[in-house]
Amino acid sequence: MDIQFLIELIINGALTGLMYSLVALGIVLIYKSSGVPNLAQGAMVMIAAYLIWMFAHLLGIPIVFAILLAIVGMFLFGMVTERLLLRKMVGQPIIMVVMLTLGLESLLRGLGPGLLGASPKSLDLGLDMMPIIVGDVFINREYLVGGIIGGLMVAGALLFFRTRIGTKLRAVSDDHVSSWSVGISVERAVAISWGLAGISAVAAGAMWGSVQGVDWTLTALLFPAVAVVILGGLDSIYGVFVAGLIVGILGSVIPGYVDPLVGGGTRDVVTSLIILLTIIFRPHGIFGREDIERV
Amino acid sequence: MKPFTRWLAGMAGAAALGLSGTAQAEKEPIKFALLQDFTAVYTFVTDEYHQGQRDYLRLVNETGGIEGHMIETIVRDTANEPQRGLEAYNRARREGAVLVDFFSTPVSRAAVNRVLSDEVVMITALHGRGDASEGETFPFVFPMMATYWSQATVLADYIDQHQGGLEGKRIALVHIDSPFGREPIPVLRDLAEKKDFELRAFAYPSPGTEQSATWSDLRRYRPDHVIIWGAGGGQQVSVREAIRNGIRQENILSVVWLAETDARNVGGNHMNGVKRFEAVGTGTDHPIIQDIMEHVIEPGRGQGSANNVGTTYYNIGVATMAVAVEAARLAMQEFGAPLTGEKLRDGFRMIENFDARGMMPPITITADDHQGGGYGRVSAWNGEAWEPLTDWYAAHQDIVWEEIEKDAAGFREGR
Amino acid sequence: MFYRLSGIKHTRYASSRALWPVTADRRIMQLLVALALLAPFFLSDLYLTSYMLPWLIWTAAALSLTLLMGMAGQLHFGFAAVLAIGAYTSIHLTRAGVPFEFALLGAGLMSAFIGVIFGAAALRVKGLYLVMATLAMQYLVEWVIINVPAISGGAQATLSTPDVTFLFMPLQSDASLYYMALLWTVVVTLLLLNIKRTSFGRALVAVRDKDFAAAVIGVDPVRYKLLAFFAASFLGGVTGAILAFCYYQAVTPEQFGFNVSIQLVAMVLVGGLGSVIGAYLGAGFVLLLPIVLTNVLAFLATYEWIPISFNLIAHIPLMVYGALIIGVLLYEPLGLAKIYDNLRKYFVVWPFRHTQS
Repeated sequence: MDIQFLIELIINGALTGLMYSLVALGIVLIYKSSGVPNLAQGAMVMIAAYLIWMFAHLLGIPIVFAILLAIVGMFLFGMVTERLLLRKMVGQPIIMVVMLTLGLESLLRGLGPGLLGASPKSLDLGLDMMPIIVGDVFINREYLVGGIIGGLMVAGALLFFRTRIGTKLRAVSDDHVSSWSVGISVERAVAISWGLAGISAVAAGAMWGSVQGVDWTLTALLFPAVAVVILGGLDSIYGVFVAGLIVGILGSVIPGYVDPLVGGGTRDVVTSLIILLTIIFRPHGIFGREDIERV
Repeated sequence: MKPFTRWLAGMAGAAALGLSGTAQAEKEPIKFALLQDFTAVYTFVTDEYHQGQRDYLRLVNETGGIEGHMIETIVRDTANEPQRGLEAYNRARREGAVLVDFFSTPVSRAAVNRVLSDEVVMITALHGRGDASEGETFPFVFPMMATYWSQATVLADYIDQHQGGLEGKRIALVHIDSPFGREPIPVLRDLAEKKDFELRAFAYPSPGTEQSATWSDLRRYRPDHVIIWGAGGGQQVSVREAIRNGIRQENILSVVWLAETDARNVGGNHMNGVKRFEAVGTGTDHPIIQDIMEHVIEPGRGQGSANNVGTTYYNIGVATMAVAVEAARLAMQEFGAPLTGEKLRDGFRMIENFDARGMMPPITITADDHQGGGYGRVSAWNGEAWEPLTDWYAAHQDIVWEEIEKDAAGFREGR
Repeated sequence: MFYRLSGIKHTRYASSRALWPVTADRRIMQLLVALALLAPFFLSDLYLTSYMLPWLIWTAAALSLTLLMGMAGQLHFGFAAVLAIGAYTSIHLTRAGVPFEFALLGAGLMSAFIGVIFGAAALRVKGLYLVMATLAMQYLVEWVIINVPAISGGAQATLSTPDVTFLFMPLQSDASLYYMALLWTVVVTLLLLNIKRTSFGRALVAVRDKDFAAAVIGVDPVRYKLLAFFAASFLGGVTGAILAFCYYQAVTPEQFGFNVSIQLVAMVLVGGLGSVIGAYLGAGFVLLLPIVLTNVLAFLATYEWIPISFNLIAHIPLMVYGALIIGVLLYEPLGLAKIYDNLRKYFVVWPFRHTQS
């Protein structure tokens, strides 16, 4: 078939995938430091988008400062959530922790739309809507910006892990007890990772809010993000980047060719199959660390 | 038009009576149950829609009620969950509700069998089962506005009449991948055969926030016209993607779910020229909305933000209640108080050429036809508002009724 | 005092291992069963059809999931899909002329076979990964149902349940539907109560606690994991059929969405993982709390005591629901069942708090 069609699917898919990475990054940051799978990350993205909208459109603050304020807000929100909720769950079975984050999701789903209005809001980042056209390949400018920001965030996270505080985080992600024994405050490290997840939620909220508008449907981003996280490995930042590309490209190319044949949207099927096949053949993902279990 | 002015005059008289005596206070109220989805899938419309309904009912109450009977509303959130909807419905029924509006397709579908056996009127304007237009099979269900099938035929007919005919054209239907999204396909297929145009359906996954692959494919199909069929956030994504992929605005036509919010979200002047099906007129420039402004909004008795008055979904809400109140009034005049579900049903079936004083197409509901004729019109976004391009009309109702009969027969067989 | 433990001495294993060794507990059970049996006579149809009936059916679903999550320790975030398979199978079977009794069986078996495929993932992974795998399967099943009109029922995607009889009792009146659901819930409850006392149940618990250790003591984890998925899915499938026939009476795909799966997990966890009474309490909590809250708030709103917008009022149940789930998990991780247990223990020794029970 048309090669330019394939190229377009690949490019737009890759960019979308990187935008999923923005959501997935938060999950990985938290899992890496504390082993908590944060299924409320989608709701955190929604809250971040609502915050930006509130600052920018309700209070009339310029969009750049609105985003900065949202970053501060979400960083604090992440830290407070960790302090008040997750710290008390240390040592509980994983299912309890998962359910807690789902309860948090429900709470946030009520708070955001309840206080700021449930009907969709628009979030204008001032991006040009028209695509970049190369031959017969149309590249979505919003996705391009989102994809670049996604890539930058991942790169930023990688660099951050080379700083002093990042080294501490890596130590914590290796082993809590030994980190304690060399004087690293595990609690602080975990809290910081939650704060960072809040920041990545702001990036995701801004980009996705601009693409699809701000309302509770932003929480649905959790599903593709989970696929990215599972494929890339729950504790790998590289994985977020690579898996984001793969999930995005497969989720664009396969539906691009298969949808016309089956007459239905198959992207969720592709996403589901990615999760399933990864778990069956390589449960810890491409870059994830394999769990070793002792009897 | 006429009955309404007559009615309003009557109401003024009744209100005057009410002021002098206490006659109206003794009449028992009529209960309408508005059990809608305020927190889940339908949030994009419920706020404004519900506000319109409440404001209109307030107007009716402020001006004397229906034959002196006040209207009470029973309002609950169902979160689009059938079990919560059924609980709210059973409770409302016990409290004596004669009319129920879920404004949620899953809940309405789950409630169909119950309203039929309980003899409570359920209005399913612009949602629920399209085949409920068949009044014999669904005596207590009233779609009362154009079904999705009628919307599809009206849009196709618009292309046929005003955009250079359908013959030989390529029409793309871009729809959300759900039963709702697929609903227009059979009707459009039939039309494609009849009018000799090419139709291709493109599905995007729900909730429709990311559709780029679908549109890359669509661009290569080089359609002459694109009909977008979704709801909520997915709609503005569709419009953006369409424009991005070089579809001219005037060739984009939408199902009824495209409103001011979407135009705002698409941003700039990008949406100018995009067309949509319209079941009810938009704007505050209607006598009925003016009355609401005067009697409800200005005295500060409105249900929500005054900015919403006159928006698409607000006016749809007003229209649904205008029809319901008209039906209740006809029923009371004919059969007297107290109003029951059965009387209200017959009231609905007596509605003839009712157009809410020019805000909506003149609808006539009969015992067979609960759709009211399937009228609508096409309007375009002009940068500030939705501007009607045509008069109210219905198209290809024969094809629509084929579908209605087919599905209604299926329901009778237990499907 | 109330429980009158004095004088209860078990001299035989059979009596000490009875389900309710204490007379008072047995009396409470008898009272509850009697109340449940008489419910159609003293409850109004609103409370019977909108509270008792869904509560019982969801309890049966939560109990099925308890078998899997609580006893066998296999996490499952796609149980609504299992219910859906049961519901759709039973409807298609009865419409093909199969008697309802056999359709129930067929629904259970169909769910069980597809459920075992879900379980196949459990052989490779556990914990979080199993959560994700079952979640993905939920999406797949949902997609198949929506996209195959032969299953979902054509353009309207709605299937009404045909009129059926169960053991010559026509299932039409509210009371007959209620008794059908009650019967099934009682069956599942008794099964769950007794499964704990069989070798099968003990094997499941061994696998839950540590599958490698179970293998060491001669319990084949593969076999028992698959059996757990089979049994739980069978129960779930029949429950789905009961849900379709006794409650919804018209089935649409949305009734079995992802959020329902989450609600079921919430029922099991909030009630108390692995506890039978917890499933009852959890189902009541998750299912009825939003309804009750909505009604209370709507009642308050009519008097305009709370000067806030309706939008916010409508969202409060969602917030409270989320907050209460968090609260239960934080302050009583063993769930509502533990709270009941604490109360019971308090009364067992009342008024002498410092004696041993």
